[in-house]
Amino acid sequence: MKNNIRVERAIKNITQGELAGQVGVSRQTINTIESNKYVPSTVLALKIARVFGKPLEAIFMLEEGD
Amino acid sequence: MMKSQFLFPYWCRYLGWGLVLAHVPISMLGRANGMLNIMDSPPGIHDVFSGEHLFFIGTTLLMSSGLFLVAFAKEKIEDEQIWQIRLDSLRWAIYVNYIILITSLVFINDTGHILELNLWVPLIFFIIRFRWVIFRLNCSLSREG
Repeated sequence: MKNNIRVERAIKNITQGELAGQVGVSRQTINTIESNKYVPSTVLALKIARVFGKPLEAIFMLEEGD
Repeated sequence: MMKSQFLFPYWCRYLGWGLVLAHVPISMLGRANGMLNIMDSPPGIHDVFSGEHLFFIGTTLLMSSGLFLVAFAKEKIEDEQIWQIRLDSLRWAIYVNYIILITSLVFINDTGHILELNLWVPLIFFIIRFRWVIFRLNCSLSREG
């Protein structure tokens, strides 16, 4: 699964730490999600999408082979 | 979202390390005074709360409850990724424990020490693996700045 959290963060101009605080996880978790090392739960993915005010599919998308 | 997890509060980690450290001088003093670990002697020859039994409580049980507290104290931010690493490390600890347990049952005829092994391996392996993964996460975080 890919995501464009990094891009969305840049648009909204917030840091990993700020996003982490808003969705209630550690900065490490946001960092590993951004670098595609960790797949968030549905609840966390929805929370992240809500912070950016976009639908889930605009932030997270399936990859070839998923 | 995160339900009750049956973990100890964060400060229990320090209490746990304290207990593990406290076990060292007690163990050294006791051995210097000729105390034997109850597991090294034949079963049934010590009364409850005899000197040897108290020595056993002061060392083995202090150490294992300390490790237990360290292993199952909450992280500062206990989120879903930590939870996954925790479960994954537990799974590995159980695998390693049973591999060692089964091979030692086959090749070693000494059930006392096998019990002791069984007491330490899951907790120690769990703690090392869990802390190692979190350490590597923090390393990749500081690289990104």
